[in-house]
Amino acid sequence: MTSMLRLAWRNVFRNPRRTGIVITAVAVGIGGTLFSVAIFSGMMQQMVENAIQTDLGHLQIHARGYDADPEIGLLLEEGGRAEIDALAGDPAVRAFAPRIRGEGLVTSPSASVGVRVLGVDPPRERMLSLVAGSLVEGSYLDAPRRALLGEGLARRLAVEIGDKIVISAQDLSGDMTGEAVRVGGIFRTPLAALDRGTLFLSLEEAGSLFGLGSAISEVVVLGGARDEIPALQARVLAALPEREVRRWDELQPLLRYMLDTMDQMAWGLYLTIFIAMSFGIANVLLMAIFERIREIGILLALGLSRSRLVFMVVCESIFVTLVGLGIGFGLAGLCLVLLSDGIDLSAFSEGLGAFGMGTRIVPALGVQDLTIPTVVALITALLASAWPALRAVRLRPAEAVRHD
Amino acid sequence: MAILEAIGVGKVYETRGVETVALDAVDLAVEEGEFAALAGPSGSGKTTLLNLLGALDAPSSGEVRLDGEKLADLSPAALSELRLRKLGFVFQAYNLIPVFSAAENIEFVMELQGVSAAERRKRAEALLAEVELEGLGEKRPLEMSGGQQQRVAVARALASRPRVILADEPTANLDSKTAIRLLELMAELNRNHGVTFLFSSHDPLVLERARRRIWLRDGGIDRIEEGAVA
Ligand SMILES: Nc1ncnc2c1ncn2[C@@H]1O[C@H](COP(=O)(O)OP(=O)(O)OP(=O)(O)O)[C@@H](O)[C@H]1O
Ligand SMILES: [Mg+2]
Repeated sequence: MTSMLRLAWRNVFRNPRRTGIVITAVAVGIGGTLFSVAIFSGMMQQMVENAIQTDLGHLQIHARGYDADPEIGLLLEEGGRAEIDALAGDPAVRAFAPRIRGEGLVTSPSASVGVRVLGVDPPRERMLSLVAGSLVEGSYLDAPRRALLGEGLARRLAVEIGDKIVISAQDLSGDMTGEAVRVGGIFRTPLAALDRGTLFLSLEEAGSLFGLGSAISEVVVLGGARDEIPALQARVLAALPEREVRRWDELQPLLRYMLDTMDQMAWGLYLTIFIAMSFGIANVLLMAIFERIREIGILLALGLSRSRLVFMVVCESIFVTLVGLGIGFGLAGLCLVLLSDGIDLSAFSEGLGAFGMGTRIVPALGVQDLTIPTVVALITALLASAWPALRAVRLRPAEAVRHD
Repeated sequence: MAILEAIGVGKVYETRGVETVALDAVDLAVEEGEFAALAGPSGSGKTTLLNLLGALDAPSSGEVRLDGEKLADLSPAALSELRLRKLGFVFQAYNLIPVFSAAENIEFVMELQGVSAAERRKRAEALLAEVELEGLGEKRPLEMSGGQQQRVAVARALASRPRVILADEPTANLDSKTAIRLLELMAELNRNHGVTFLFSSHDPLVLERARRRIWLRDGGIDRIEEGAVA
């Protein structure tokens, strides 16, 4: 069999220019696609990570019914002690934090804006949220009666650090309550919705605003790798059967959907590119067959079987495709190494922020990003060799050896 | 028993609706160990008959038997196998696979037959020596003269240890000195290994050395001459 492989391999390089053109086409097509996929999936991954690390977390624990109707009365008692105890021993838990979630109206001297009010425990929240690290002004809830708000919200309210704002809300018993605080810090994250509509208070102040006593709304959990989260979820749920334990992609199915469509898009992209290239490959193989009719006649006269002849043509197709694929991977790899610090997109930051992306995109490639093009390439190679192989097999030995 | 047999063999070619009768009811038996030639003017059907006897083509009528086996009964795969194990071919020119060296060309058939690598190497070397090409095993066909290429082709035809070697105008592209050397070589192989040779040629050098000449004319056997002339 090695002779057959050697024969096919050498045949591939008999016409270096023609083979070179096809290999270049495959390499550039694959390299370009792989690179684009890496950038796109870098963007998607970042979007998902941003959402997880600012607001979502990997898991959220709530009282039962919260998912269907997140009303303020659905609470975890005693600051979520039972929930925190359930998390404490699990090695997959990297950080967790109690939160209060409510709604209110913020009023400044110039505007009133409806907001989500988030009560957080600053030292714990710091460990799982990027917000603390995204301050553009002021400090992170380090003094009493201070609120932290996003740049977007500050602009809507036309307030600066130290300005007084009033938060009004409905408390647990349905009465209107209010609290006057000062703007203690302003942050900017890639999540425009968070920046424009969320106001952070300390856990105690949010608790007293809504009249919750020591109760809280949720415990947010950050785990390790994303694919370990379902197992963690199952363990937490087993420990807290009375609670709702929701995963990030259950809380925001759109994110999961985006990641999945990314994969489908990659398949579609590769299929399109390869189907286009399969015509080029088939054409080159066919030309090579027509040039070698006499030689194929000789092979048949020597006793080469038709199945081996097909094998030879298929191998030639696979070799051309794989060499192109290899070079394409190399090209894409080189580009990605050069860009491993990320691509600075700060010039487009306004537009990108709306999609929850940062201004620096780090291209991301996983193993599966290489398997998809490899699988598609092999299918293409087989597809492209079908017609030339059929032509070769149809040759009649006596006529082929007469050919010149 | 005859190794090759044509019984009432006819061949009609059809090209664009025009029928050419290349052979008409030919009966011929070639015995084991023969050194014979198909002779005759151009277009008389020599190549056609050789191709039919060598299972490269199927007759329009009549039947061909190789070693007692009816070729018409064999599947394409069985025909490949038969060409691989029982037949060797030498054509006028460009017999060799250009991307293989001389030694690789010779070893290729043996590999198809499933001969082990060590055995292949040994036999290829011996065959190259036999056709007086020691040390040229690494050369590619394009780096060799026409005569050297033909000798490699003969060595390759022998490599599969066939019962019959069919050679269509093997000397047509060679000068007479080279041609004589090639023919002497083949005669030796015929004597030493008992391989049957059947040529098709109008080269007097070939015909003189053949121990039997089968003269064809217009697709039929005209006459048969016995005994070498040279
Ligand atoms: N593939 C083919 N298609 C049509 N006609 C053919 C074909 N091969 C041979 N012929 C015709 O069949 C006849 C016999 O041809 P063949 O090649 O057997 O002759 P030949 O004796 O080998 O001639 P030469 O000495 O020129 O090689 C000729 O008339 C030729 O034109
Ligand atoms: Mg002829």
